[in-house]
Amino acid sequence: MRDELLRVSGLTVSLAGRRIVDDVDLVVGSGETVGLVGESGSGKSLTARAVAGLLPPTLTAGGSVRFSGTELIGASERVLRKFRGRRVGLLMQDPFAMLNPLLTAGAHIAESLPRGTRRDRQEVVRRLAEVGITNPDVAYRYPFQLSGGMRQRVAIAAALAGDPELLIADEPTTALDATIQHEIMQLLARIQESRGMAVLLITHDLRVAFQLCDRVQVMYAGRVLESGASKALATGPGHPYTLGLISALPAVERTAVRLEGIPGSVPRAADVACQCAFADRCGQRQDDCLTERPPLRLLDSGRLTACRYDVAPAASVAAPPSVPSARKSSANGPLLLVEGLRKKYGQAVALDGVDLRIEPGERLGLVGESGSGKTTLARCLLGLVDPSGGSIQLGGMDTTRLRHLPAARQREIRPLVQCVFQDPSTSLNPAMTVGATLAEAAALAAEQDRRPVGEVLELVGLPSGYAKLRPHRLSGGEKQRVAIARALAVRPALLICDEPTASLDVSVQAHILELLRTVNSELGTALLFVTHDLAVVRQVTDRIVVLLHGKVIETGVTASVLDSPGHDYTRRLVASVPTFTGSDACTI
Amino acid sequence: MAAPVAGSRIAPRRVPGLISLVVLVVIALVTLLGPWLAPYDPGAQNAALGAVGPGADHLLGTDNLGRDVFSRLLAGARTALIGPIFIAAGTTALGTTLGLLAGFRRGWLDAIMMRLTDLMFALPGLLILIVVVGIAGGSYVTAVVALIVLGAPVDIRVIRSLALSQRELAYVDAARTMGLSDRRIMFRHVLPNLAPTVTSNLLLSFVFALIALSGLSFLGIGLPAGTPDWGLMIQENRTILDLNPWAAVAPVLLITITAVAATILGDKVFERLSAGKELTA
Repeated sequence: MRDELLRVSGLTVSLAGRRIVDDVDLVVGSGETVGLVGESGSGKSLTARAVAGLLPPTLTAGGSVRFSGTELIGASERVLRKFRGRRVGLLMQDPFAMLNPLLTAGAHIAESLPRGTRRDRQEVVRRLAEVGITNPDVAYRYPFQLSGGMRQRVAIAAALAGDPELLIADEPTTALDATIQHEIMQLLARIQESRGMAVLLITHDLRVAFQLCDRVQVMYAGRVLESGASKALATGPGHPYTLGLISALPAVERTAVRLEGIPGSVPRAADVACQCAFADRCGQRQDDCLTERPPLRLLDSGRLTACRYDVAPAASVAAPPSVPSARKSSANGPLLLVEGLRKKYGQAVALDGVDLRIEPGERLGLVGESGSGKTTLARCLLGLVDPSGGSIQLGGMDTTRLRHLPAARQREIRPLVQCVFQDPSTSLNPAMTVGATLAEAAALAAEQDRRPVGEVLELVGLPSGYAKLRPHRLSGGEKQRVAIARALAVRPALLICDEPTASLDVSVQAHILELLRTVNSELGTALLFVTHDLAVVRQVTDRIVVLLHGKVIETGVTASVLDSPGHDYTRRLVASVPTFTGSDACTI
Repeated sequence: MAAPVAGSRIAPRRVPGLISLVVLVVIALVTLLGPWLAPYDPGAQNAALGAVGPGADHLLGTDNLGRDVFSRLLAGARTALIGPIFIAAGTTALGTTLGLLAGFRRGWLDAIMMRLTDLMFALPGLLILIVVVGIAGGSYVTAVVALIVLGAPVDIRVIRSLALSQRELAYVDAARTMGLSDRRIMFRHVLPNLAPTVTSNLLLSFVFALIALSGLSFLGIGLPAGTPDWGLMIQENRTILDLNPWAAVAPVLLITITAVAATILGDKVFERLSAGKELTA
């Protein structure tokens, strides 16, 4: 083992006496890259913040954080300030929120440069070059004049300006587009190597962690469930939770027969203090998992797991037949026909002559990065914005200017196409109960097709008791199920899904994708799946359309486009999906 | 899980809200039951007695004309409080409806509404009120109507800005996608999400109206001289502070206590209603 730089032992973080992070140990050697992986609510970000002494004032930290021998927990602000920036650099998720809008990129970097070099313009230019910005003029630009990727590069340069020995990167690429994510990750890896700096990478994405990190530590409900070398973890996970996470990952190279999520949701740390935190969701639970908290035990060569038992390989149940698409080539023509669709916002062109065709029951993927016009296209189809040109035909009716049709006609047409929006926390009305929301939607379906609320809930796999709850009582995945239920209650012929899993955890994402596939095959609802995630699109679509700058640049059968992309841009998209080679147990 | 706190204990941060609520309920009861509680006829004069301090016969003493101050306070609660209640209800109904329409519909309606509120903000409200009510014959009802119109612009602005941020949220898009009418989306979907603000606006409008109406009465506008009313009592009795200070100080205290209690309750109701279901764009 290399020199020990950071040693966290027995770290706890509590809110008003309730533990949120419980007894976490973590060691980072100098020059080492360690990944802290977990889903939302696992306590990974709080652990990182506690290390940097940046917990919100309502939270209290206990235990010990030693940075090259100095204790940081309980240290005065003056001591901490000596560490922050100069010895520990911080990189946050949202580069726009991290940079001060009133300071130029150069000022951000100059501010944290070592004394003596602060007025040195050349030094700022050198630092920008280190993060791949060769244009020295960027130093004089303000954050709003930079793209998301550029901002994150500037943020990295600023975090590195004080030449820290440890860089804490908290989800540094989550807010960025896939291709840019890939570039930033490669940049981080390159800088880490050339500087010999240690990196603590906090991420929800196992693939990223396995690709970049020497060691990975998996967190769950505020504690560590497993830690060890990336390779060992990827090929033979030592904890059922890690195995579950790996199995839930969609792969860009193949379409899974069945997507396995992990049942249930993450418990609160304080509720599972005296048992195995994962026991309630574990497939191989034994009685003693519930009576005592399993200690971390040594597996082999530095690998630790908090499971008492050997992990059974993924149950190789006879694979159920692959879910077929409900596509019917109908004599009545396509369900949706879009021709030469254009949309301008002032001078900016969002859609530049898009053609699209969806057959009844078909599953079409619409792929593109931010600014490609994919969301604008979805909003045109939903009749939320007016296109500037071209035509939309839905079920043989002209719906190009749906918003301006007479109210009675709109009531007739609108139920045909429904939408599942990206963020379930805003797409459900917080003031209405789940039951009221669903009843309102069901009342819009034709009389003979109306489904009672209980039946709609059952359709998306929720118990009927949920009808009485308001959205704030539900988890993210449950909210998205309700949003899907609401759309289905209207009995649409076409369901537009706008990044429906982008804000969800992997284990939940698998459930939602599986649900959408079932909806398509059993109800015959056509899907238009809007996403930037190629691995996801592979799982749920038959055909894809790739959008770039408002134009369709490639279209075809999903598998063949992803396996042998024709367009340069598609090739770059495919290459940017992080991959790792898992064991056979993980192949899905 | 921690055991629930014993029922007899009240969390310290809830104390101010509870006290305010109790104070307002007591004041409301006294307003309703005033005529039955009053020991004397509030109008009955006893010129021979004149102004005397608190004593066994007269709890808070008498005023210049020998009228019982306590009885007059009870009777005065009606004009002092019922007007503001109407004003608060009127302002909130008007302001919420117009603000919701302006913020949700945008367009020409919004433009007109905004210029109108700009105009109202530019006018010296109370001065106009004094002139208008003075010209219109100084009736109490005119004052109430005028205060409703004067108070509405603030509510319109507040509700409009909230409606603007709500209409950008996905749940509004979802309702539109389902083909629901604008009216239904506005009143059934958006309005319930503004409930915390609407309720606290209601209480703040009440405070504004209470002080404005008392101020008008103090200036002798709105109510005929001799009517038992808190504002009017301050004006009539400020000359006998040396003989019976309670005659003027008691109505001042009542106005202040009522206003403070309503303000605190407004704050607490807002916190309570918005807890747990915050939703921002």
